[in-house]
Amino acid sequence: MVIALLALFTEILPIVFYLVFLKRNGGEGLWVIFLYCILNLLTDILAGITKAPAIMDCYNIMQFTLISLFSYLSIKEKKFKYIPIIGAVVFYVIAIRNFTNIRFDSFSVSLASIFIIPYCILLLYEKMRDSNIEFVYNNKKFWIIIAFLLYFSGTLFLYIYMNTLPEQQRSNYWTINNFFEILKNILFCIAFIMKKNAQPSYLTDNLDPDI
Amino acid sequence: MIFLEVTNPGNVSIVLFFGTIGMLALTIGLIVFIIFHQRKVIRYQTKLQRMEQDQQKLLLNASIRLQEEERQRIAADLHDDAGPLLATARLYLNENLVNLDKSTQLQSIYNAKQIIDDTIQLIRNISHSLMPPTLKNFGLESAVNDLFQKISGSGSMNASSRFHDYKERLQAENELIIFRVIQELVNNILKHSNASFIHLTQNTSGNKFFIRLHHDGRGITQNDFNKLNKSNVGLGLKNIQSRLKVLHGKIFFEKDMSQTYYKVTIELVKEEDNKLAEQE
Repeated sequence: MVIALLALFTEILPIVFYLVFLKRNGGEGLWVIFLYCILNLLTDILAGITKAPAIMDCYNIMQFTLISLFSYLSIKEKKFKYIPIIGAVVFYVIAIRNFTNIRFDSFSVSLASIFIIPYCILLLYEKMRDSNIEFVYNNKKFWIIIAFLLYFSGTLFLYIYMNTLPEQQRSNYWTINNFFEILKNILFCIAFIMKKNAQPSYLTDNLDPDI
Repeated sequence: MIFLEVTNPGNVSIVLFFGTIGMLALTIGLIVFIIFHQRKVIRYQTKLQRMEQDQQKLLLNASIRLQEEERQRIAADLHDDAGPLLATARLYLNENLVNLDKSTQLQSIYNAKQIIDDTIQLIRNISHSLMPPTLKNFGLESAVNDLFQKISGSGSMNASSRFHDYKERLQAENELIIFRVIQELVNNILKHSNASFIHLTQNTSGNKFFIRLHHDGRGITQNDFNKLNKSNVGLGLKNIQSRLKVLHGKIFFEKDMSQTYYKVTIELVKEEDNKLAEQE
């Protein structure tokens, strides 16, 4: 219960930090993450009130849409840009086919995680190769990608087995989700608080003095 | 797929626990790998950058030193040769000249004239060494031929040059740079190689312009050139390198296949392409 409340509380923090440091967070597609944080908060409040499984299904689709959009905006290489688009089409078809208001759609949520983890690896690969970034951890998007990667890899097995777990034990196992939710929100906060990405010194130094 | 078939609640807990821990370990491993790999890449780039800066510093120092040496040489030529000549001419034309008899006066004036002619010749030589008039008026081909004829004429070495494709002259400043590089190379060959002949050929291929020097003396290879370029010695070679850098040119030192001759090849991109490279 405490960890669930803590998770709910930490969902407010990235929203607050984004708004407080609005200037630092402009122009990098971080507004998508801001929308994602709002979606998280609203879903948790609504799920607490209605407890309808459809809310989780809708949340899953919207969450996947926002993360795909973030990936699409963040990927620099043109040939990789089509990956989140194709992934989104495949995911929508499967998620809409499985959409029910009866129980938690474990398959669609797991599928979303399976899609999002490679997106994160692709984004990390691009960040690693980007010569404009001096240290990868000085980059806002790096922390956001790490947050998603840890959250979705940490909760993947939980989502896969969610429907096989006995009803009374689900809330116990949901602690794993809350733990990773808190971790994700903390990493979002770090991304929103940190200063704008700095240019590496070897790009700003004059390499070619006039001989 | 075996994992997905687990339905026993006890087994589910174990699979869930180890699955989550495993995924987490993989993710953390990946993040740590990325961070360390990037640090390694950055260290490598910084090292490369430092090496390039050191190289540029060496080239800059070499060109400054060479300029200073050139100035000292001109100053020495003027001070040691032109100065005494003019002082002697002045002695012949001193105030006492009017009091001397006519034949002595004529002799003094003749001597002074001789000395002034020598001085004019000396100053012409200095001026020619600064900017060869043949190069300015007739171009690289004539200037190189002239230089090689002079070397051959001295009798110390057999020198010949042949331009195969030089219908269109390069820009005057580029011709001067190439000429200076050739002069420096020929100077090195004369000083260090103990060669009995030098042969220069010029060719073009596509957008490339080649000048190749052959000699049968003691030469250097590309490895020696690179080593000398990085050390504090080899001022002339550094000067060649910095001059060629202006033209985006390359130089290769190698031993002939027959192991009898040394070859030096200067490779330049033709001017239009050169301008494009500079714009980039």
